[in-house]
Amino acid sequence: MALTWDVVTRGLGEIGRLIGIVAAVVIALETMAYLVLHKLLKCKYSLPLMLLLPALVGVLALIVYPFGFNVYLAFSNMNMFRFKDFSVGISYGITNLLDVFRLPVLQKVTFLQLLGRTVLWTVVNVVFHVLGGLALAILLHRPMKGKGIYRTLLVVPWALPQVISALAWRGEFHFQYGFVNLMLERLGLRPVPWLSDPRWAFVAVVLVNIWLGIPFMMVVLLGGLQSISQEYYDAAQIDGASGWQQFRSITMPLLKPVLTPAVILGVVWTFNNFNVIYLVTKGGPMEGTDLLVTSMFKAVFEFYRYGFGAAYAMVIFVFLFIFSAVYLRLSGGFKGAWES
Amino acid sequence: MRRTVVSVLVLLMLVALLLPVGATAQKKVALTIWTKEGEAEGVLQEIIALTQEYSKSHPGVTFEVVNYGVEDLRQNFQSAAFAGTGPDLLWTVSDHAGPFTAMKLIKSVDQIFPAGYMDKFVKPGVEAVELGGKVWGVPLSVGNHLMLLYNKKLIKAPPQDTDELIKVGKELTKDLNNDGKPDQYGLVYNLNEPFWLAPWLGGFGGWPLDGTKPTLNSQAMVDALQFLHDLKFVHKIVPMEADYNAADSLFKEGKAAMIINGDWSLGAYVTDDVKKNVDLGVARIPKVVKTGKWPSPMTSGIYLMFPEYLEGDKLNAVKGFVDFLVSDEVQLRFLQKFKRLPATASALKSPLVTQDAILKGSSDQMVVGKPMPTVPEMRACWDAIRPNQEAVMAGKMTPKDAAKAMQEAAEKAIREMTK
Repeated sequence: MALTWDVVTRGLGEIGRLIGIVAAVVIALETMAYLVLHKLLKCKYSLPLMLLLPALVGVLALIVYPFGFNVYLAFSNMNMFRFKDFSVGISYGITNLLDVFRLPVLQKVTFLQLLGRTVLWTVVNVVFHVLGGLALAILLHRPMKGKGIYRTLLVVPWALPQVISALAWRGEFHFQYGFVNLMLERLGLRPVPWLSDPRWAFVAVVLVNIWLGIPFMMVVLLGGLQSISQEYYDAAQIDGASGWQQFRSITMPLLKPVLTPAVILGVVWTFNNFNVIYLVTKGGPMEGTDLLVTSMFKAVFEFYRYGFGAAYAMVIFVFLFIFSAVYLRLSGGFKGAWES
Repeated sequence: MRRTVVSVLVLLMLVALLLPVGATAQKKVALTIWTKEGEAEGVLQEIIALTQEYSKSHPGVTFEVVNYGVEDLRQNFQSAAFAGTGPDLLWTVSDHAGPFTAMKLIKSVDQIFPAGYMDKFVKPGVEAVELGGKVWGVPLSVGNHLMLLYNKKLIKAPPQDTDELIKVGKELTKDLNNDGKPDQYGLVYNLNEPFWLAPWLGGFGGWPLDGTKPTLNSQAMVDALQFLHDLKFVHKIVPMEADYNAADSLFKEGKAAMIINGDWSLGAYVTDDVKKNVDLGVARIPKVVKTGKWPSPMTSGIYLMFPEYLEGDKLNAVKGFVDFLVSDEVQLRFLQKFKRLPATASALKSPLVTQDAILKGSSDQMVVGKPMPTVPEMRACWDAIRPNQEAVMAGKMTPKDAAKAMQEAAEKAIREMTK
């Protein structure tokens, strides 16, 4: 739609209306909280509770309610033919959950195959994101001219809308006209059927996602590196520590509080990455690039299996929850936060 | 006391004066239309212009037109309707009728319009949205069918049968710069997309569904897959990889003599930019020599559908607007601007169709097409066909195995969908 004056004013009007409604709700809630907590109950913590209240309402509306509704749907037999008159019961929940593991989730691939592929996808991506991001961050952390320009250029893949990047890459992987095969041919290699062979298609989507993900890790780790005091390195140099020893004994331990949440976020995002797969290959060819999350999307939005899809989403959530808990425990990344 | 009586009388007179005004004033109705039409071909802009024209002659009715991609429209409408909100009118494709009726999200036409209302539309247009003996949408344009488009700058006359297609395809697939790779193709189309397989399936004597039962494991499917496989691997007249955009670009750039594409694309091939490379011709997809049948592309079209919750003033306003959209004037406007075949019989008989070579070709193809099944089970067939068709086109599966796997997958998917 063209950006006309009418569109702008209507858009601003709608935003203004929404802000007005949110403001009215917040004022009403705060007034009620003030009257109940402060005036009626004379609560000592009425002010902090009032300050927390808007965030609490937000969390309830945006996280707790949708999560609860998903659990509710997971225990239902809701599908296309029972969209409005579905039933809810423990037996439906058990059936949905068992179906996730015992039947092919798509036409050909099973849950375990998809899980294995998703884990491989996540590990390869995150390893390259961390290694690439760390290497670039260390390079940029050194004194050099034009650092700002390099930093800006390196952030470009992250700053571009993912849709544009992914669709551009899709074109570049074309067998005959894509940049990648043209380069391979220049090097005297045979062109690769990137988008028609499932294995190569998987390699292609991994390459795209690595390219897209490195800048984020680089920015985070660069921030971490900049927070480490130079005094540690000066002292180490006086003690005669080598570059590797400095990296292992100073950089890595002090980078850990930054690295741990970044890795967890990276894993969760990559594990649930829908955009790259869907835009570059749509899960094909032959379901060879489908991941857990794309197959869940297909189950829900193409096959209308809402109850099954909700159970499937819970299984994915449990996997990620366990991973995060174990990783936090083993890495001790948030130890500082707990101790403080 | 006297003053009070006078005041009351004056007030009553004022109310009496105002009442008739209130009764005759047109009620204000704000309608929201969700359309699958985008800006690229100018259709969205045309819809907005139509709503503005209608608002001028019906001052109480205002519109908001929202564009979604076809799949987004389906998904968003399902979510919105589940929450009891959403648009007042859907401007979408026929195959959405299947899931929408199964989910009880739309009204049938007989709940809105009087009996006989559908008589003015061409039969294939009505049949495409008939489910359970009821019609679930008002057709705006019929077709949506694939056909053979050819570039008269490269090929004077279109091939009439599959043997000729292969023969001229080989002649027209050329390596112009001697680098060992073709720079010009005889034929391009969306190689891995099941919708492009459907005409050939029909041409070899098959069809994906019999009622609601998948019929994918057939000799016709094996033959159709083998034919498409051979175009790529044996005759080598199509690119090794081509999705919709790649095929479209090759044809627009004059690097392909023929393309199999739908009626929705016609407008884009007669723009000034493309005319430099392409002198467009339109014909039927060539007859299949083995069966003597014409390939039967799936026909459907663009439809107006009515949410189940549409009632009262909004329903009345929507009815008026729909009447306006299916008037010959608007139907012919769409025909002229976007080369879309009209849905009303009277507009389809217009000389604008019969005397236009492109539209005549399109119309000829449409009459040998078959309505796309709108039953929800078709969804299962599409998804069952896709990975196996991809496997055949990657040379990793035989057509026979693929047909068998499609059948099993479709049956399984339908079982899961309906249990």
